[in-house]
Amino acid sequence: MRKIVSLGVLFALVLVAAASLPAAYPDRPVKLIVPWAAGGDTDNIFRPFAPGLQKALGATVVIANVGGASGTVGAREAKNSPPDGYTLYAVHDYIHSTYYTGVSDVKYSDFEPVCLLSSTPSVLTASPKTKWTSWQELLADAKARPGQISVGATLGSTSHFFPALIEKAAGIKFKYVSYEGLAPRMNAILGGHIDLTDSNLTQKGKVDAGQLRFLAIATEKRSPEIPSVPTLKELGLNVVFSVERGLMVPKGTAGDVIAKLDAACAQASKEPAFAESMKKQGTEVRYLDRKAYAEYQKKLDDLNRELAKDLGLLKR
Amino acid sequence: MVELLGAGILNVLQAKYLLSLVIGTLAGVVGGALPGVTITMTIILILPFTFGLDPLQGLAAMTGVYVGGSAGGLITACLIGIPGTPSTIATTFDGFPMAQKGQPGRAVWLGVWASFWGGLLGGVFLIAATGPLAAFALQFGPWEFFSLFVFALAMVAGLTGTSLVKGLISGAIGLMATIIGADPIMGVPRLTLGSEFLQGGFQFLPILIGIFAFAQIMTDIEKMSGGGPARDVARQAPSLSVSHLKIIAEVLGRPFLLLWSTFIGILIGVLPAIGGSAANIMAYDQAKKFSRHPERFGTGTPEGIIASESSNNANVGGSLVTIMAFGIPGDAVTAVMLGAMIIHGIQPGPLFISQEPRLAYGIFAAYLLAHPIMVLLIGAGARLFMRIVTVPKPVLIPVVLVFCVVGAYALNNTIENVYVLLLFGVVGYAMVKFAFPLAPLILGVVLGDQIEVNLVRAIMTDANPWLFLTRPISGTLIALSVVSVVLAIWQHYRAQARMAEAAEPDVDF
Repeated sequence: MRKIVSLGVLFALVLVAAASLPAAYPDRPVKLIVPWAAGGDTDNIFRPFAPGLQKALGATVVIANVGGASGTVGAREAKNSPPDGYTLYAVHDYIHSTYYTGVSDVKYSDFEPVCLLSSTPSVLTASPKTKWTSWQELLADAKARPGQISVGATLGSTSHFFPALIEKAAGIKFKYVSYEGLAPRMNAILGGHIDLTDSNLTQKGKVDAGQLRFLAIATEKRSPEIPSVPTLKELGLNVVFSVERGLMVPKGTAGDVIAKLDAACAQASKEPAFAESMKKQGTEVRYLDRKAYAEYQKKLDDLNRELAKDLGLLKR
Repeated sequence: MVELLGAGILNVLQAKYLLSLVIGTLAGVVGGALPGVTITMTIILILPFTFGLDPLQGLAAMTGVYVGGSAGGLITACLIGIPGTPSTIATTFDGFPMAQKGQPGRAVWLGVWASFWGGLLGGVFLIAATGPLAAFALQFGPWEFFSLFVFALAMVAGLTGTSLVKGLISGAIGLMATIIGADPIMGVPRLTLGSEFLQGGFQFLPILIGIFAFAQIMTDIEKMSGGGPARDVARQAPSLSVSHLKIIAEVLGRPFLLLWSTFIGILIGVLPAIGGSAANIMAYDQAKKFSRHPERFGTGTPEGIIASESSNNANVGGSLVTIMAFGIPGDAVTAVMLGAMIIHGIQPGPLFISQEPRLAYGIFAAYLLAHPIMVLLIGAGARLFMRIVTVPKPVLIPVVLVFCVVGAYALNNTIENVYVLLLFGVVGYAMVKFAFPLAPLILGVVLGDQIEVNLVRAIMTDANPWLFLTRPISGTLIALSVVSVVLAIWQHYRAQARMAEAAEPDVDF
């Protein structure tokens, strides 16, 4: 018995020793922080992406939904994680907008870009409890009742910017109510507790079932998935808006680790299952490598600063 | 709906789901049978093992634990007179006397079959009511949710403890724990003392594990003396063989009792935050009131066992309705299940059934199938479970503690959650010592952010505060909250007048 115990102890010591040797990255599970609730649209994009990333990386990828405060809680957690490549951060344009609107103190430059993954155009969506069937009806109503039409939005984030751009272009005024993420916004709009929201093609099923109404899409040309929905441009509003999602890691992560992650990202973005799932969600798979993504991030940041300034939301 | 349910059952009958369901049910029965290990604790121990599974596998395992645990407690309750879980307290009242009279088999199997039928009736309700209730839940705007949460807190503070004031303080501690961290609307850090970790706030599961596992185990350690009474009774190894047809006839031969107890169980399950521990006692009380021979209760009458056991399994069905239709946990067990769903990327709520029909009907199917599995497992292993009950606590408790810590760590792979677990373990222990109920605290933690967010939303949507009272559903819920507090005060006065009896400190709400 004693022999077995001492053998066991020895074995354990060997294991500990082996674990403390510098091993090739990655040698343990990688955490992917999604700064929104499960079942939201960011979650819906990164969840089908995770299996491909896992395969390409050769390590388990665990999604952690760290929601709250317009995605700021998750951003802070990601920023404060050790820069060892074991914490990834699923980001979208909100990182720029929440910074400039003063909601968040985390900036995109607190991270190193890994890759851009997808682009999802915004669709202006109305509750079935409202009487508008078209943009024109909404516009007339909004002019008659300024500041009365309620919009569910993640404050300071993209779902706030999109309706704010429409407000500005059309010269109308909405009232904003905080609903973090698409999933709770959908509950509220189906129940008629808010009138309008920013959504996307993931909600097409509900529109077909008569539970929601798409009023206009913020693309250059009409989408082949919903050809009957006009673009805002056609309606005379110069608003083109989409949400770009990518991966970042905390600043200070080693270059070779980022390169490895980027390569895995490139491979995973080509997975047919991922492409299929993105098609269903009306999202374009748009891979950019870490260098191109870094430049693009800078461009997006300037753009969001401009937007915040134009909309009178700039706090920095 | 029938086709969906059929498809769900076929789906769950696949080996990979059936296996996790059977393992979950087995774990539930064993955990339930171990005195001092509650269903909540068992499900916490199972949770980390489900992280790597697919969502339905994980949820099937948890549903199995829930159903198995609600029944497993009765074995110990009947055979050694110690409730395996707080939801079998009332089973001891008649189950143990019956066993002492030389009918241990009859006592156990009456309980098992009552659990079976009560659970299945609860399942019928679950399947029939979740859809319509989910549609109803869509009507809930921020006002209604706010009032619903206030109602839940008022009710649990009034019902679970011996003192309303202590219940309210406990709820307030829970609410205050959610203030720490970034505020849920604009992300302003509150009471973080500059700590990066506190900016994220306390996570719910480490608190739950601390309060329900650590604090309870600590008090168990205090009570421990030698091998405990379990050993001696188990050595007698009573024979449990009975005629099952006769027992089933005995259970089904009392349709009114069975239906009424089931109804109480379902009702208590649906109401947020009060769970099996209240259901079984309330059903027992009702059965006694309606009985033509109330004097027989407590001496080993079958009615007492049937009432208690059918209600606590029906309660499981009711709790699952609340979580699936509203996305609100009905009790601590479903709160853990909610955490598990979110880890698997599922947001339960009004849209859950329509968006995830495969998963929703998979859970229904797992719930229904868990009942025959539970009966088979107990049939095959009741004697064996008696052996497990005799595992000495000095062996059992360290294992449970280690699993608690692993569970807290595995949640996010951060050590800070283990510190949170320890902190709340100490808080919970102190509260148990000073006879504060724990259930309101947990409910406060679960609902804190939601109460705040919905209050802010309501005011952002319309600045008129009277809407909380003038909107019909919201107003009704506020009125019910007032009623439940007044009722609690009245009951406490009445109880004081009657000289309060010693209260049962274990709560598994």
